[in-house]
Amino acid sequence: MLEITELATAYGKIEALKGVSLSAQAGEVTCLLGPNGAGKSTLMLTLAGILKPQRGSVKFEGEELVGKTPAQIVERGMALVPENRLVFPALTVRENLMAGAYKRRDMAGIRSDIDAMFGRFPRLKERTDQLAGTLSGGEQQMLAVARALMSRPRLLLMDEPSVGLAPLVVAEIFSIIRQLHAEGVSIFLVEQNAHMALKVAQHFYLMEQGRVSFSGSPGELADDDVIQRAYLGQKRAA
Amino acid sequence: MTDWLQTTIDGLLDGGSYAIVGLGLSLMFGSLRRLNLAYGATAMLAAYLGAWLHARHHAPVWLVAVTVVASATVIGWYVERLCFAGTRDDAAQPRGAPIAGADGREVVALASSFAIWMQLEQLAVNLLPRHLNAFPSLAASGDWALGELLIRPDRLLVALLAAGLVLGLAAWLERSRAGLAWRAAADHRSAAHLSGMPVARLQTAAFSVACALSGVAAFAVLSLDGQVTPMFGMWVLLKGLVAAMLGGLGSVRGVLWGGLLLGVVEAHAQSLFGAQGREFATYALLFVVLVAPWRRGERGALSGGLRA
Repeated sequence: MLEITELATAYGKIEALKGVSLSAQAGEVTCLLGPNGAGKSTLMLTLAGILKPQRGSVKFEGEELVGKTPAQIVERGMALVPENRLVFPALTVRENLMAGAYKRRDMAGIRSDIDAMFGRFPRLKERTDQLAGTLSGGEQQMLAVARALMSRPRLLLMDEPSVGLAPLVVAEIFSIIRQLHAEGVSIFLVEQNAHMALKVAQHFYLMEQGRVSFSGSPGELADDDVIQRAYLGQKRAA
Repeated sequence: MTDWLQTTIDGLLDGGSYAIVGLGLSLMFGSLRRLNLAYGATAMLAAYLGAWLHARHHAPVWLVAVTVVASATVIGWYVERLCFAGTRDDAAQPRGAPIAGADGREVVALASSFAIWMQLEQLAVNLLPRHLNAFPSLAASGDWALGELLIRPDRLLVALLAAGLVLGLAAWLERSRAGLAWRAAADHRSAAHLSGMPVARLQTAAFSVACALSGVAAFAVLSLDGQVTPMFGMWVLLKGLVAAMLGGLGSVRGVLWGGLLLGVVEAHAQSLFGAQGREFATYALLFVVLVAPWRRGERGALSGGLRA
């Protein structure tokens, strides 16, 4: 579904992605692990079209996405839930959801999808007309997920949805990921919380210093020292 | 009592003019978070083009009106390309990456729009070098009497036009899909990009509408006096800015309340202390609003963001 080959992105002269290749299969939850500064968020922003890569290719359902605008990428069916619960703080919860459906024209469908989001996230329903900036961290994360879903993506990109949230809220977020997966949404997830990710993902990658250094199933992940590296970075030679 | 009421009514009618010149400025600041110092000069050059057509070519009033609004839009486009297109907060600048400084860009926008202000004003003065220039007058011949109170119907019309534009734009921002997109793009650029919005195009559209509004304001206000002077650009920028700041820069309905408040305070200050009292009251009012504790925080006078 998603084929990334030799993708490189730089901030000025600093290359954050040094040729990343990986793929995500339709109907699966694919998880990318890695320590801070490995380039995970850079990869996500590049996939969403916010950052322009120096080289490499991103194929989504066979179509090249490099060079497309963020709007065109959303239109193709790929939506990003960015890091740090990026909502529209001065818009209400309902307006945030409407904004997520900006590329759609079917008003009836949008309305029924908003109702569906309120069914999925009852906490948001209670806060329909509240400004998003006044929500709690967990509620903002749910709103960010709901807003991305409003574009009806076939592939949902999630950048560290659990970071900075209380354990109970993290559990809630992961149960939503499981639910979405059961409903057939493909998910490409960036996480630092490997133990939670092990419960939802079918395939894992590890990224270190701008490169993919491991690819495997959850079983292989447990055998290797990957989990430790995901948290702590590369082991230094003794 | 009658005097007091009459002063208040005069103030409210003046306030309509302030609101109409402040509306575009507030819309611009709200959607770009940049102060356009060339705003008054844009309106002035457009007005001069209208006055030139009127004086040299005896253009009919409707043609002058169309010219003023259209040229304000075109001049605004020129200002936007030169001063603002290159100084936007860049969506491709992710959090944490080295930034030349959002502040740096703000200063560049301020300085370059100041330069363009001088340029546009000079162009206008070269076009019509005299200090006083005739502008098509739509002034009413008589006042309406309401008991002992007198109301100039043309001023009332401008005030109603201001209220109509403000309330109409506010409703459009609140209800329409495009209005939501304007507010969303002003609220958070990255989130707007990720929601599939063409952010740069939305902001250019908001800027153009604001410039067209400055043309409407210029025509409406100048047709009351039937003349235009080189002071007009400064007047538009100053009164518009004070009205917009009183209402909270970026707030559309706020401009109306800010303009009316400014008009009433000025009118009373003038009747009590004379012309100098009028100026003093303007800045005292602005000062109080800017430092007022209840205006601090997220929704304060300088916070930015576009809201109905």
